[in-house]
Amino acid sequence: MSDATAPQRAAPIGVVIEAVNLSYGANHVLKDVSLEVAPGEFFAFLGPSGCGKTTLLRLIAGFARNDTGRVLVGGQDVSGLPPWKRDVGMVFQSYALWPHMSVRRNVAFGLEERGLPRDQIEARVDEALALVGLKHLGERRPSQLSGGQQQRVAVARTVAVRPKVLLLDEPLSNLDAKLRVQVRRELRELQQSLGLTTIFVTHDQEEANTICDRIAVMADGAVQQIGTPMALYERPANLFVANFLGTANALEGRIAQSGAERVFEIGDAIRLPVPAGATPPAGARLVFRPQDVRLGEGPGVPLPGVVAHREFLGASIRYAVRIGASEIVVDTPFRAGDAPSAPGEAVTVRLRPEAALWLAA
Amino acid sequence: MLLSRRLAVGAALAFAVLAGGAQAQAPSGKVTVITSFSKDVTDPFKKAFEKAYPGTTLEVQNRNTNAAVKYIEETKGNNQTDLMWASAPDAFEVLKGKKLLQSFKPSATGIPDKIGAFPINDPDGAYFGFAASGYGIMWNERYVKGNKLPEPKEWQDLAKPAYFDHVSIAAPSRSGTTHLTIETILQGEGWAKGWRAIKEMGGNFRQVTERSFGVPDAVNSGQVGYGVVIDFFAFSAQASGFPVKFVYPTVTTIVPANVAIVANAPNRAGAEAFINYLLSPQGQEVLLEPSIRRLPINPAVYAKAPEGYPNPFKDATLGARVKFDVDVSEARTAAVDALFDQLVTFQLDGLKAATKAIHEADAALAKKDNAQARALVSEARDLIAAMPVTDAQAASPEIRGAFTGGKEKGARQAELEQQWAAFAKEKYAQAKAKAEEAAKLAR
Amino acid sequence: MTLALDRPRRRLFLSPGQAAVALAIGLFLLAFLVVPVATVMYVAFTEKGTGAFTLVNFLDFARTDLFVTSFRNSMYVSTMSVVVASALALPLAYITTRFEFRGALIIQTLGFVPLIMPPFAGAVAMQLIFGRNGSLNLLLDDAFGFKIPLMEGLNGVVFVQALHYFPFILVNLSAALRNIDRAMEEAAQNLGCSGFRLFRRIVFPLALPGYLAGASLVFVKVFDDLATPLLLNVKDMLAPQAYLRVTSIGIADPMGYVIAVVLIVVSVLAMWLSARAVKSGDYATTQRGGGGLARRRMRTWESAIAYAAVSFILLLVLSPHLGLALLSFATVWSFSPLPDGYTAAHYARVLGESSVYIKNTIVYAALAATIDIVIGGAIAYLVLRTKLIGRDLLDWAASAALAVPGVVLGIGYLRTFYGVTLPDGRPLATLWIMIVLALAIRRLPYALRACHAALQQISVSLEEAAENLGATKARTVRRIVAPLMAGGILAGFISSFATAAVELSATLMLVQSNSDAPLAYGLYVFMQSPAGRGPGAALGVIAVLIVGVCTYLSHLVIERGQRQRGAAGAEVKS
Repeated sequence: MSDATAPQRAAPIGVVIEAVNLSYGANHVLKDVSLEVAPGEFFAFLGPSGCGKTTLLRLIAGFARNDTGRVLVGGQDVSGLPPWKRDVGMVFQSYALWPHMSVRRNVAFGLEERGLPRDQIEARVDEALALVGLKHLGERRPSQLSGGQQQRVAVARTVAVRPKVLLLDEPLSNLDAKLRVQVRRELRELQQSLGLTTIFVTHDQEEANTICDRIAVMADGAVQQIGTPMALYERPANLFVANFLGTANALEGRIAQSGAERVFEIGDAIRLPVPAGATPPAGARLVFRPQDVRLGEGPGVPLPGVVAHREFLGASIRYAVRIGASEIVVDTPFRAGDAPSAPGEAVTVRLRPEAALWLAA
Repeated sequence: MLLSRRLAVGAALAFAVLAGGAQAQAPSGKVTVITSFSKDVTDPFKKAFEKAYPGTTLEVQNRNTNAAVKYIEETKGNNQTDLMWASAPDAFEVLKGKKLLQSFKPSATGIPDKIGAFPINDPDGAYFGFAASGYGIMWNERYVKGNKLPEPKEWQDLAKPAYFDHVSIAAPSRSGTTHLTIETILQGEGWAKGWRAIKEMGGNFRQVTERSFGVPDAVNSGQVGYGVVIDFFAFSAQASGFPVKFVYPTVTTIVPANVAIVANAPNRAGAEAFINYLLSPQGQEVLLEPSIRRLPINPAVYAKAPEGYPNPFKDATLGARVKFDVDVSEARTAAVDALFDQLVTFQLDGLKAATKAIHEADAALAKKDNAQARALVSEARDLIAAMPVTDAQAASPEIRGAFTGGKEKGARQAELEQQWAAFAKEKYAQAKAKAEEAAKLAR
Repeated sequence: MTLALDRPRRRLFLSPGQAAVALAIGLFLLAFLVVPVATVMYVAFTEKGTGAFTLVNFLDFARTDLFVTSFRNSMYVSTMSVVVASALALPLAYITTRFEFRGALIIQTLGFVPLIMPPFAGAVAMQLIFGRNGSLNLLLDDAFGFKIPLMEGLNGVVFVQALHYFPFILVNLSAALRNIDRAMEEAAQNLGCSGFRLFRRIVFPLALPGYLAGASLVFVKVFDDLATPLLLNVKDMLAPQAYLRVTSIGIADPMGYVIAVVLIVVSVLAMWLSARAVKSGDYATTQRGGGGLARRRMRTWESAIAYAAVSFILLLVLSPHLGLALLSFATVWSFSPLPDGYTAAHYARVLGESSVYIKNTIVYAALAATIDIVIGGAIAYLVLRTKLIGRDLLDWAASAALAVPGVVLGIGYLRTFYGVTLPDGRPLATLWIMIVLALAIRRLPYALRACHAALQQISVSLEEAAENLGATKARTVRRIVAPLMAGGILAGFISSFATAAVELSATLMLVQSNSDAPLAYGLYVFMQSPAGRGPGAALGVIAVLIVGVCTYLSHLVIERGQRQRGAAGAEVKS
C-alpha cells in the first residue's frame, strides 16, 4: 500500500488531554488523565482490557463525554462538539463496514456527508483505495472480503476524509498472527507517508513497541507512564509498567545501614550493597530484566539458589531460580552444545545492582 | 373412508328407525339445533324447553342462514344436526329441494293456514312457521334529529333526496330476510316497477352490509340513519333501550320464521318434541318476551300480548296487500340476488353518483322549470331503472343453470355477472351525464 | 474475521431420527393443510358441467371488471397499510431502542396489544370512536363543523388495518434495531453523519431485514383479511369477494375459489420477494458485535417531543380498545360521543354464562401454540441444520398457511374430516381437537418465523461442541439448542397464542356445540343482537386482558432470560 503517492495534506496537528475525569455512575473510568500527542506523532494507548484506553479514544472521537477537564484537538477544545463535527477519523475494532453498501460506497460515505462534488468524491475514493491497494475490489460487498481486506477498507474509509487525527481502536486484534505483523508495518508506513497524527489503542505491548513513537501505559483508568518504547522498557515508572512491558523480576526488601555502607536486605539471608549514587526509598523494590542477570561466573553479586523450573525458548533458556523465599527469572543465551542446568540443581545467580532499578514498594 | 361413510349412513338409518319406533317415549338427551337466531332469542327458548322436557338439553349452534344451509349440505354424509331454525322460508325451500329435511306432522292445534297472505306451513310438512315477522324501516331518532331528517312511512320515501347517503340495507344474497323484502317489493310492484323502486332507493344507500344484523347494528350506534330491516331487530333494539323507531310500509308482507327437522336427525324424538313445544301455547308465549318480540302464529296468544303489540290477525293492513308466491320467488332466487349485487351492491358508487346528479337536477328544476331538462331527467331515471333481463328470463332454465354450477354445461355465472355489471355501469354513467346536462339547462 | 465462516454450515449427514421427524411433519401438513385446502381449491380448476381440468375460470377472473378492480384495490390497500403502519411503528421502535426511554418495556407490550383485537367487537368499537358519527367526528362536528372520513372506503380500510397490524412491523423492527452493532452507527457519526441522515443512510438500511419481515407480514395479512373491509362495507376487494362467494348459498360457482387461489399466490409471492430482497449474507454483520444501538439520553425538549409522539401513537392505536372498554360498561351508546350511562351488568352476564368460552379459549390457544412451536422449531432446525431434500418445501408449505383464508380452511376441514367417523359414529370433524388443529395450522407461520430467527442466531459450533463431548443429535437438540432458542420459542408461542385466541373465521365453520366454543365464537353470537353488544364487548375486553397479561408475563420471562445469558435472545417474528 505504500507504492501509491501520498496525497497533499495540511500540516499535522496535536491532541491534548487535560485533567480529564469520566465516571459511569459509581464506576470511575478515567481518573485525572492528562497527556499530549505531538503533531504527526504515532501515539499508543497501551494497557490491559478495562484500563480505560478505549474510553479515552472514544472521548477524543466524541462518543463519550468527560465530566471534567478538556480535550483539545489542534488547540481547539472539542469537549462540547458531537462526533460528526470533530473531524477525527476512527477505525473501529470490528471495522464497522456497512454491509448494505459496496466497498466504494463505504469509502465514499464520509465524502458524501461533507457534500463534495461527485467527481471529487470518486477521485478521492480511488485515491484512498489505491493507498490501501484495493482499487480492484471497489464493487465488492464487505461480506465478500477477507479480514485483512476489510481492515484496509476501514482504514481507507477513514483516511479518505482526510481527518485531523486518526484513531485506531485495536485495529489488528481480528487478524491472524502473521497478517498482524504485515499490517502493522503497513499502518506505520501509511501514517508516515500521510504525516497524520495517529492514536492507536492496543493491549499488545509488542504492537505498541514496534510501530509507535510514544506510548501512554494505562491501568485502572489512570495514565501510569508516558514515553518512547525504549524509555518505558528501560525506566518503567512502576512495577505495573515494568511487568506490562516484558518480564521483570522484582525483589522486595528494605534499605539498612551496615556500618558505612547501605545495604538492601531481602529476608534474612540476602544482603545486597546499594550502589553509590543510587537513592532507593526506605521500603524498596529492586527491579531488573531476566536478561540482566546471569548464572555461574562473572561480574555481579553472587546469590546462591536452586533451579525450580526451566523453559526452552530457542534462542535462550529461561530459568526460574529459587533464592530464599523469592523466585527470580533468568534468561541465558542458548548456543549449540551448551549443557543447561536441570531443575533441582544448585546454581549461582549473578546480579548487578547498578544495572537494576529501584522502585518504591 | 367410503366404507366408513356407508357404515355411518347405515348406523344413522338404523338409529332413525329406532328413534321413530321410540316416538311414543319421552324425548331425552341432546337436541342439536342450528340457527341464525341470536342468543336473545334462543336462550329463553332453551330455558323453557329444557324445563318442559326434563332430561333434554338444547344444543344451540349459531350460524348465519347461508352458512347454516351450507353446513347442513357439507355434513349430510354423517349428519349430527336435528333441527334447522331460521327466518327465511327460502332457505328451507333450498334444503327441501335437496332432500335434506324430514317431513313431520306436529301435534299443535289452533294454528291457521295463513298469516296475512302467506301460508304458514310447507304443504308437504317439511318445515313449519312458528312466528311471524314483517319487514319495514327502522331509524335512529337521535340521528334523524341531529341531521334534521324526516320520518319515513313508505319504501318510496327512502328514494327522496333528503335520505341521500343515510339508508342502509343488507345484501339480499347475504341475508335471507332482506331477500324476502326485495322479493316482496318485486311481487308487489311487478318486476320492472319493483326494480325501479329498489334502484331509486338504492341510490340513497349509505352502505350494503353483508350480514343482516349489520343494518340494525349501524342504526343502533348511529352510524347510519335508516335501515331496511325485519321488525324484531327494531323491537329488540327498543327493548334494549336504543333510541330507534320502526314502521311497516304498506307494501310489506308478514312471513313466518321457520323450523324443520333435518333428514337423518340423530335425535328425532327430541327434534319433534321441540317443534311441538314451539307451536304450543306455552312456546308461543315465549315469543312475547321483550328481547324476542316476534309475532305469534297462534291468534289466541295475542290475548297475553302487551298493549300496542302488532296483531296481523286483527290488523288487515299488515301484510295482506301482497300475495307472496313462494314458487315465483324460489325460481329466481339466485338471479334476484345476483342482480341486486351486480346492479346495486357492487355498483353503488356509480348508482349514487347518478342519483345525486338527478337530485341536483330536480332541485334546479324546482327553482326554474325547463321542459327539455325535465325530459332529460326522465331519461336519466329510465336509464337507472333499465334491467338487463326480464322476469321471464330471470326464471328461465338457462339463467338458473348458470347458478347451480356443476351439473350441466352452459353460461358460467361469472360471465353473466360481468355482463350485468357492465350493463349497469354503462347505464349509470349515461344517466349521470344526462342529469348533469339537465342541471346545466335548468340553471 | 471472514464472515463466510460464521454462517451456519449445513450438516452433510442426515440421521434417521431427522428423516422421521421430517416425514411426520410432512404428513401432518399434508393431512391438515394441503389436502383440506386442495379439496376446496380444485373447483377453481374445473370446467362447469364436465368437471374437466381448465384454466378458463382464471380467464373469467381477468375479464371481470369487478375482480380486476378488487385486485387493484387490494393491492392499493395492502401497500398503503404498510406505509401507514410503518409511519406508526417507526417512531415507537426508534425511540424505544435508540434512546434511554422510561417505559420502553411497557410501550413494547402495549404496542403488541392492537394485534389482539377480537373480531366484531373491535370493529364496532372503532366505528363508535372513529366512524362517521363516532365520538371523534361528533365532537369535531360540534366544535368546528366538519368531519374526518377516517372509516370511509378504501382509505378507511387502510386506517383500520394499519392500526391493527402495525405491531408486526414494530416488533420486528425493534428487534432488528437492537441487533445492530453500535460501531456501525458510530462509524457513520465519525465520518460526519448525524440525525435523520444517519437514520436514513445507515440505521434503517441495516434494520431493513427486520423491517421487511414485518412489512411483508402486514402486506399479506391485509391482503388476505376479509373481516375489516366487510365491516366497513368495502366489498370490492379480493378477500371479501372470495368470502362472499364461498359462503353464499346457491352459488356453486368456482370464482370464489379462483380468488382464493389468487390470494394464496400473491401472498406467497410477496413473502418470497421480501425474503429475496435481503440476501442474508450481506447482513451477516448486523448480528455481531456488541450492545445494539447506543442509547442516547434525550434533552428535555427532545424527550417532551418523544413522549408526546409516543403518547399520541399509543392513544391512536389503543383507541379501539378504549372504545371496547367503554362499550363493555355502556348502557346505551348511540349517536353520542360517550355512552348514556355505565353499568357492570354486562360483565356479570358474561362471567355467569360464558366462563366456558374463556376456558376453551385458553385451552385451544395454548394447545395450538404448543403444536406450532414444536412443529415450527422442528422445521426451522431441518431447514437451517440439515441438507434434507425438500426441507424448503416444508418451510414454504407451512408459511403458505398464512395466506389460506380461514373460511377455506374451515370448509376444507368439514369436507375432509366429516366423512371420517370415530368408533362411536361421530364424525372426526365434530371433535373440538379439530378447532385446535385448524388454529395451529393458521398460526404456524408466526411460530415458524420466530423459531427460525432464534436458531439463526445460534452458532453451529455450540452444537458441535456438544456432539464432540458425546451428545447425540437428539440430545444436543434437547440440551443445547432448545434452551438457547427458548426466548425465540417463547416469542413464537406468544404470537401464536395471542392471535389464535381471537381467531374466528376458521372456527366459525368448525364449532360444533356451544360447550366446545371458544371466546371469539361467543363474542360473535353476542354481537348478533342489540342486547348482546355490551356483553360481547365485555367478552372482548376479557379476551384482550387474558392475552395481554400472558404477553406481558412472557416478555418478562424473555427479558430475564436475556439478562441471565447476556446473549442476543429472542427476535419476535410474529
